[in-house]
Amino acid sequence: MKKFLLYIFKIFIVTLLVAVLLDGLYTYVFMQSKNRGKVEAVVNSKEQKYDVVILGSSRANNHFVSQMFVDKGLKTFNYGMSGGHLFEASLMLKLMLERKYEIKNVILEADLNLSNDQESEGVAAKFLPYIHSSEVIKEHFSPEANFKELYYIPFYRYIKFDSKIGFREVYKIAQNEKTNALDNLGFYPLEKHKNGNMKNNIVNLNPLPHNKYYEEIKDICKKNNINFIAVMTPMCENVVGMNYFDKVKKAYPEIHNYENVVIENKYFSSCGHMNDKGARLFTAKIIHDFFPKK
Amino acid sequence: MFFNSLAFAIFLPIVFFLYWFVFNKNKSTQNALLIVASYYFYSCWDWRFLFLLVFSTFLDYYTGIQIEKSDSDKKRKFWFWLSVLVNLGFLGIFKYYNFFANSFAEMFTSFGFKVSPILLNVILPVGISFYTFHGLSYVIDIYYKRIKAEYNFIDYSLFVSYFPLLVAGPIERATHLLPEVKVKREFNLQKAKEGVYQIVWGLVKKVVIADTCAVYANAIFDHYPSMNSFSLILGAIYFAFQIYGDFSGYSDIALGVSKLFGLDLLRNFNYPYFSRDIAEFWRRWHISLSSWFRDYLYIPLGGSKGGLWMKIRNTFIIFIVSGFWHGANWTYIVWGFINAVYFLPLLLSNSNRNNIDSVVLKWNLDSVKVLFSILTTFLLTCIAWVFFRARTITDAVLYLKRIVTDKNFAFQYLDNERYNYELLLMIGVFVLVEWNNRTKVEPISGKRSMLKMALAILAIIAFGTYSDYKEFIYFQF
Repeated sequence: MKKFLLYIFKIFIVTLLVAVLLDGLYTYVFMQSKNRGKVEAVVNSKEQKYDVVILGSSRANNHFVSQMFVDKGLKTFNYGMSGGHLFEASLMLKLMLERKYEIKNVILEADLNLSNDQESEGVAAKFLPYIHSSEVIKEHFSPEANFKELYYIPFYRYIKFDSKIGFREVYKIAQNEKTNALDNLGFYPLEKHKNGNMKNNIVNLNPLPHNKYYEEIKDICKKNNINFIAVMTPMCENVVGMNYFDKVKKAYPEIHNYENVVIENKYFSSCGHMNDKGARLFTAKIIHDFFPKK
Repeated sequence: MFFNSLAFAIFLPIVFFLYWFVFNKNKSTQNALLIVASYYFYSCWDWRFLFLLVFSTFLDYYTGIQIEKSDSDKKRKFWFWLSVLVNLGFLGIFKYYNFFANSFAEMFTSFGFKVSPILLNVILPVGISFYTFHGLSYVIDIYYKRIKAEYNFIDYSLFVSYFPLLVAGPIERATHLLPEVKVKREFNLQKAKEGVYQIVWGLVKKVVIADTCAVYANAIFDHYPSMNSFSLILGAIYFAFQIYGDFSGYSDIALGVSKLFGLDLLRNFNYPYFSRDIAEFWRRWHISLSSWFRDYLYIPLGGSKGGLWMKIRNTFIIFIVSGFWHGANWTYIVWGFINAVYFLPLLLSNSNRNNIDSVVLKWNLDSVKVLFSILTTFLLTCIAWVFFRARTITDAVLYLKRIVTDKNFAFQYLDNERYNYELLLMIGVFVLVEWNNRTKVEPISGKRSMLKMALAILAIIAFGTYSDYKEFIYFQF
């Protein structure tokens, strides 16, 4: 039995060694990644200067046409992330500041995402390769329930989120395979979708009265002299429970309600996402209202 | 509690420690511990179905003794049929009632009568098909006086509910497992090491091959109308490796875990995709089920004795029943039927036992023929798997039809953001490893086993699929 227990101990050591080696290898590869996604692009960048940085979910990513800001002379990048929550938007802003970005204005899409302050696992996972190299990322994840496993068990984070940061992603980084996440200055235009779902029901959705990460973004902007602009972005006509946006306005009076500046279905790809034409109408309105002098 | 879960990784060492260090006084304490562990293991899925397991154990234990004690044939028959009917009754209610109710309703509707069947809103108790068959084989063997009834309830309970085989087999025989649990097990280093090799290789099959193939197979099968010929062919191949890796991986882990407790279970898989004909495939695939049906259905029906039509009838019966055993869906029945059709030419030409020896390849024409027959058998198997995997027979037929009619063999990008061909290299490596070790139980043992173990662990950690897929397919059966 002693021999067997020793044998199992050897296997345990081998497993640990393999995990440590793979962790080091994967992390090294992720540290070289610059053209696969917005998180990697920020983590592996040096100081930048922006007039406008856009943050939020897909309703930011698909709705703010960065080039229209640039045409107005405003250096802009859309850091909205599809599927992301305010947890990730806040972390993204912190990361930029950790890398000494100088930002004049932050436009935050704050509407449906105010209803929760949880992490979005699929998007949050993309920060995890850098958890040992960025104090900001480590601090941001530290209140999460599974932080200890993610931080201390070698390779655990790559196993847990293997579909996002596992072998396939590492292989694609090593192959220098580019994605379109950084094209169009981060804006991802949608087309009019033939079978797009033009109905939505948000009756059961309620904004949290004090969304932790919304407040965090607001505070960060205040401390760093960044002009903070929070906006609600449009939804299609057939939404049940549209008073959600009134509830947001009541809880957060400083958020500008742009939900109804574009309403016709022809400007939407699906009920919650405008197509390129709609996005351009909406962005023009935002630029007109917030950056008139330029 | 899945074999590939953290919970099991904690559960197994605890049971192992208690088994060899605390409850190692005699076989009764060892067995008692394994029963408690088995009931806990089973209750992790749904404790409410424990009563079914306990009831089934009591029933077969009691009827087995009564059959043996009966002094007349009439009484023996009574106890025998009581056990068989109650066991099959449970299986029928939980697994097949809704299927039959719906099928009859559809049949009446097609004749113009509108029928609304009363359906049962129950979930299928996990492993019911497996432990029911354990009990049935025991009672049948006593009835035919092949074995003596077991009077020790603890020993018998362990035979029925032993956790490594409780939910997905292998389907054990009382003649094989009962004698093992009736003696105290002594620790055997070599056997325990073999167990570890088998567990690790089973995990490779499950998390590296099966779960990764599942991600691709699901993406292709779930969207087959928009897939081209090449993707559909790959989808069938991926599913073939998914179900093989999943089920044989589970069996390997079950066998390996048992070796840690000093028990040997029946081998369930023997590299079935290297078979040269369908008969050989069925001697290598889910061996414990195939042999169960052979011994308890095919032979009692007359087997290969009698006239040609009897042989054909019996062959179709066991393949169709075997298909139906897998699930209450017409797709499984058709899958069984197709395999019977594949088997038929071998039966008629008396060549179903031609390929008994293991495959040996040399640089000659015969080897080319052997390779060709292996590929042909695999192709036939993949076609049958399409019916097994598809939701309906119509879906399966349309899937196969589209392979032939689409004629587009370009690489395709799948909905899950993966290319259809990405997995082929991994499958190729897996096939080569299995081929080179086809005379062994698993590829890790032998020379440089620690290096092979490290590579297997590396494969599990680096190439395993963890977030997309988890369940073992055969749990649903």
